[in-house]
Amino acid sequence: MHGGEGRGAAGAGATTERRFDVGQLTRVEGEGSLRLRVRGGVVVEARLAIFEAPRYFERLVVGRRPDDVLDIVARICGICPVAYQMSAVHAFEALYRVDVDPAVRTLRRLLYCGEWIESHALHVYLLHAPDFLGFESVVALAQADRGAVERGLALKKTGNAIVALLGGRPIHPVSVRVGGFSRAPRPREMAALRPALEAAVEQALETVRWVAGLPTPDLRQVARLVALRHPDDYPMNEGRIVSSDGLDLPATDWEAAFREEQVEGTNALHARTLDGGAYLVGPAARVTLAGDRLHPLAAEALAATGLAGEIRVNPYRSIVARAVELVHAAAEARDIVAGYRAPETALATWRARPGTAAWATEAPRGLLFHRYEIDERGRVAEARIVPPTSQNQAAIEEALVTVAPGVLDVPEETARTRIEQLVRSYDPCISCATHFLDLTVEREP
Amino acid sequence: MARPRLGVVKFASCDGCQLTLLDLEDQLLGIAEQVEIVEFAEATSARSAGPYELLLVEGSVSTPEQAEAIVDLRRQAAKLVTIGACATTGGIQALRVFADHDAWRASIYPHPEWIESLATATPIADHVPVDAELRGCPIDPGQLLEFLTATLLGRRPRLPDEAVCLACKRAGSVCVVVAHGEPCLGPVTRTGCGAICPAFGRGCYACFGPRETANVPGLRRSLVVLGNAPADVDERFAGFTALAPPFARAAAAGLAAAAATGGDDARR
Amino acid sequence: MISATEAPAHGPGFLARKDLGALFALVRDDGRRLIGPTVRDGAVMLDELDGPDALPEGIRESQTPGRYRLEAGRPGRLFDHTVGPSSWKRWTFPPTVPVGTTRRDGAVVAFEPATPDAAPLAFLGVRACELAALAVQDRVLLGGPVADPDYAARRRSALVIAIQCTTAASTCFCTSMGTGPEVSDGADVVLTELDDGFVVTAGSRRGRELLERLPVRLATAEERDAAAGGVAAARAAVAANAGVAAPGLPSRLMAALDSPRWADVAERCLTCANCTLVCPTCFCTSVTQRSDLAGAETLSERTWDSCFTGSFAAVAGGNFRSRPQDRYRQWLTHKFATWVDQFGTFGCIGCGRCVTWCPAGIDVREELAAIAPPPRAVVTGMHLPAVTPAPDEAWLRPARVVATHRETANVTTLTLAWEGQVPGAGQFVMAGPPGFSAAPISVSRARRGAIEMTVRAAGPATAALTALGHGATVGVRGPLGRGWPLERMLDRNVIVVAGGIGLAPLRSLIEAIAAERERFRDVTVYLGARTPRDRLFVGELGAWSAAGIAVTETVDRAGADWLGRVGVVTHLFDHAERLPEGAVAAVCGPERMMEATVEVLRARGIPDERIFVTLERHMECGVGLCGHCQLGRFFVCRDGPVFSIAELGDAFGREGL
Repeated sequence: MHGGEGRGAAGAGATTERRFDVGQLTRVEGEGSLRLRVRGGVVVEARLAIFEAPRYFERLVVGRRPDDVLDIVARICGICPVAYQMSAVHAFEALYRVDVDPAVRTLRRLLYCGEWIESHALHVYLLHAPDFLGFESVVALAQADRGAVERGLALKKTGNAIVALLGGRPIHPVSVRVGGFSRAPRPREMAALRPALEAAVEQALETVRWVAGLPTPDLRQVARLVALRHPDDYPMNEGRIVSSDGLDLPATDWEAAFREEQVEGTNALHARTLDGGAYLVGPAARVTLAGDRLHPLAAEALAATGLAGEIRVNPYRSIVARAVELVHAAAEARDIVAGYRAPETALATWRARPGTAAWATEAPRGLLFHRYEIDERGRVAEARIVPPTSQNQAAIEEALVTVAPGVLDVPEETARTRIEQLVRSYDPCISCATHFLDLTVEREP
Repeated sequence: MARPRLGVVKFASCDGCQLTLLDLEDQLLGIAEQVEIVEFAEATSARSAGPYELLLVEGSVSTPEQAEAIVDLRRQAAKLVTIGACATTGGIQALRVFADHDAWRASIYPHPEWIESLATATPIADHVPVDAELRGCPIDPGQLLEFLTATLLGRRPRLPDEAVCLACKRAGSVCVVVAHGEPCLGPVTRTGCGAICPAFGRGCYACFGPRETANVPGLRRSLVVLGNAPADVDERFAGFTALAPPFARAAAAGLAAAAATGGDDARR
Repeated sequence: MISATEAPAHGPGFLARKDLGALFALVRDDGRRLIGPTVRDGAVMLDELDGPDALPEGIRESQTPGRYRLEAGRPGRLFDHTVGPSSWKRWTFPPTVPVGTTRRDGAVVAFEPATPDAAPLAFLGVRACELAALAVQDRVLLGGPVADPDYAARRRSALVIAIQCTTAASTCFCTSMGTGPEVSDGADVVLTELDDGFVVTAGSRRGRELLERLPVRLATAEERDAAAGGVAAARAAVAANAGVAAPGLPSRLMAALDSPRWADVAERCLTCANCTLVCPTCFCTSVTQRSDLAGAETLSERTWDSCFTGSFAAVAGGNFRSRPQDRYRQWLTHKFATWVDQFGTFGCIGCGRCVTWCPAGIDVREELAAIAPPPRAVVTGMHLPAVTPAPDEAWLRPARVVATHRETANVTTLTLAWEGQVPGAGQFVMAGPPGFSAAPISVSRARRGAIEMTVRAAGPATAALTALGHGATVGVRGPLGRGWPLERMLDRNVIVVAGGIGLAPLRSLIEAIAAERERFRDVTVYLGARTPRDRLFVGELGAWSAAGIAVTETVDRAGADWLGRVGVVTHLFDHAERLPEGAVAAVCGPERMMEATVEVLRARGIPDERIFVTLERHMECGVGLCGHCQLGRFFVCRDGPVFSIAELGDAFGREGL
């Protein structure tokens, strides 16, 4: 858990060996480690080892009923519980053929907007931005630019307030049920959110300008991008799985194009395309593949940065994609709240059926796929959950291979910071991936 | 006078309880002025292996490494406070004790021998003495703030050990047991969340764990009399605080009644 | 506006329903927020109302211990409900109220008391019992050596518009406590609802002034009668409910501080505090502190607390009321005894909220009757008050025998075609062949359309019954009596002990349990018979076992071909391992056998409240009029035949009673 602190210097063997140890990668969610092996100046292996203790969620839900599954899977992650609940609830409702009230559909988007805002604001301001400005933490950053930090905290607070309004609390909300919500917000409660949302749009726009101007390392990684795409909306709860190289399949059919494998030395399963390739999910993928569905304010903000092309190829620019999505989520949330009408039926009735319940939604960090087998008693017989970070692991490792040459000849501290900053660009959510980041670079002759 | 040194560490958990500290958006920078955050991997790259005046511990012990680490940490901490259901009762992952752990591991990981984890996921207090507890899944931000404030000022934190029902009635929510026959565990659960679930029309599922004098057989009987199937009531206890002693028997009975199909040997 | 000649200064007025909006408008114009009943989340709650549309139209409630449901009431009626979980205490004595702020700046400390928020309110729909509650709280919070300034301010500024009840819930007992349903004083305006409006009277100068500004005309005689009739109907409904024997209750209760019933209720009580929090007179609070991180400013607040919480009576050295039974006893004795000593009234005003909103379904009326039962009022003198006759119970009616089954040499089960009410488990019928006397016979099985009675030939009438064949006619009366209390057995371990023919009334209990087996815990049946040939329902024991009911048999004496146990039935569990916890026992057999069994069960820890027996006595009529089955203060035919040992008390096992 507390694997050694960062230390440089030689390990056993040759004097040409250079090892980077980031004992525990900080300012990411969860615990993981990394090993870089360099032979003759060429990086031959970059291994991301996640040894966040496994909690066996896919087994914990076996034998449980769908409404209980919704409560349980939220606990996979404290930052993105809504994502797990949304993927699961849509999977069950697809199998049971439940028709939810259209206002419930809207409320679910609002709920996801709230989580995106909270999660992206957390990542941009507390986890990632400090890297760009050379600070070790948001507290240190606040000493230099308190206004920026307060802006980020205010955004995060608004995101949390949205989730709390719909779900009772921002972490592990309680109201998401198969069929809708156990209680829909009252119009008076929704109206109270308006001032914060107006401010949030402004704060998000300012965030885009701010991150676009941060000193950013250069790196080229052309990854295969994967995201949901929907005919009308920026993808959250619904859409088809598409990729930058022509993939196009229903969200229920993730397993037709991807698979998971276990890699020794890590507690998380890695996802790859069926032909073994790496791919990338998350804000950069969404902004690239579904950018035409962004809220006009967000699209404008993106255009004003001129960085859409950079986002596609430079992982360090994901922070800009995240900021653009902050604008989208704040603006969409504001619009939903302004036009809110309570659903006629907040909770639709339904009957369980045996069969396969599968669905994918867009968590803040990317595509999140769930599949459940439901038995004759209406209980889960088998479960598979593929979080975004598992899907990004291969791409992260490829990026580390790409960046490695550039850091072998720079001072220890700089190298470590740049590598960590790179890993953070992928906003890994390691508790989700079940999967402790520990950086070891071993150079062999 | 030097600021007290605060550490925040994590075992097997979802991160939600640590995140609650970061969710004190209005107070976070103020807190960072009153205490020195020396170790909090999620929030700062500054690291420290101790000593700590105050150490917040999230998560349950579920690997051999963690079982050793917590002992070291206890030595480094003047005051060790467990935060959240995982640290205080084992959490949802503790339900593995009712199952065959090796079969579980095999069912998820094609190479289970590469994964090192314990058959149990146990609360911190099973390994080291604990000075204080914050309950909840996740903990309540108000209670966290109250704890930190009280600790800084030297007074006893107000963390009432009473039924959720008090918070529910103070809030003016309608009792889902009496008005809807819902199986709600509020009467045996410790308050702290502000009675969120009944406010949202569903029964409490005891994520804050049992209160003092929890009359589990009495509640079970009342819910059965009101028309709930006994197995359903038992299953309510098989949640995020299932291992807490007043709940464990009912939780085990509930899980046994809801035994899974598909067998323990299902592989991918 | 109304002219002076129409002003109802000398008699009740009438406000049409369509003009209720004028009341709302007037209250708002006077700068008050109107609080009244409205439906929210499946209950009638008190909340701020925007207009008459928010009132619960056509709604009434069904309230029983632990259960509350909304139902359809009379269309158009706005106040056919009674009381929901919220009370006016929420506004006069809110859940959280600031007490003061402490400011610290270096060595300088200031304590600033809070200023009460006296925003004027109007309460619409205050019931008579709730007026009594306000009066009780006035005595507590204003009448002592120190008054509560926050309560005083809120109370003074509130306008009280009362409504007289025209319906009642089964949990209401205002008449017992002398608090309703008629409103006496304490209100500014009093309404009584009719189909098209309200009869109104003023209760204060403030109320009179309000009515003068509303379109109120003089009420007609019919309207006044209808109003009185509505309230009388409410009174009759409450009078039909279980009540509380209030006269003399405080001393009876304080004399019963060691009653075994406290332990019994504590087993059921969840100490969840719901009763105290819905109670309109409970006033216990705690003071909490909230500071900023630097401790410069601390807000102290008063918040609702309850004597049921663990820390309520805790001090540094320990806890004065750690056990649930101590807490329950504190609450009940305070509410119904010591409150009188402190404040000169009962704390309870008979609204019944604590009964409805207790998730465990504990009913204070039942508990008080068990702990501090009233002596029966003695009526003496020549001019005794007239009695309203109870309805007639039809005499014998014919029932056809559709099957017979000989169980043993002298016991036969007759199946009768049955119309009408299906007997509950443990009830009996009076039955006899035409021309013979009718005798009490246990109903050993009851289904819709047919019942079975199991008869032992002990005399000419019963012998003749056992000799009847298919198609014969029997005269029957019933079902009669109080049967086994199944609801007291739910989610508990059940022990059934039957001796000989005593299995007949227990068979219906066993079958009722088997039909919903999962709602009970472990169920064990112990059967005793004189000899193997005297065993009843032998062919059914397998089905009981298959249903998850453990069956153990013994006989007093047997021949060589009996491979089972021999001995009296109490030996079956006298030496068994621990009896299950929290168990309920049902026993039937010869009287001596029941006495011995009860002794063993008591010795093994089952309290008298949870041991039930069914008694046999000489009965001629079966309906409490012939006098033969009297036992102490009971008539076994109508107060029993099933009794708990607790209620029988000395009457059980006493020679010569």
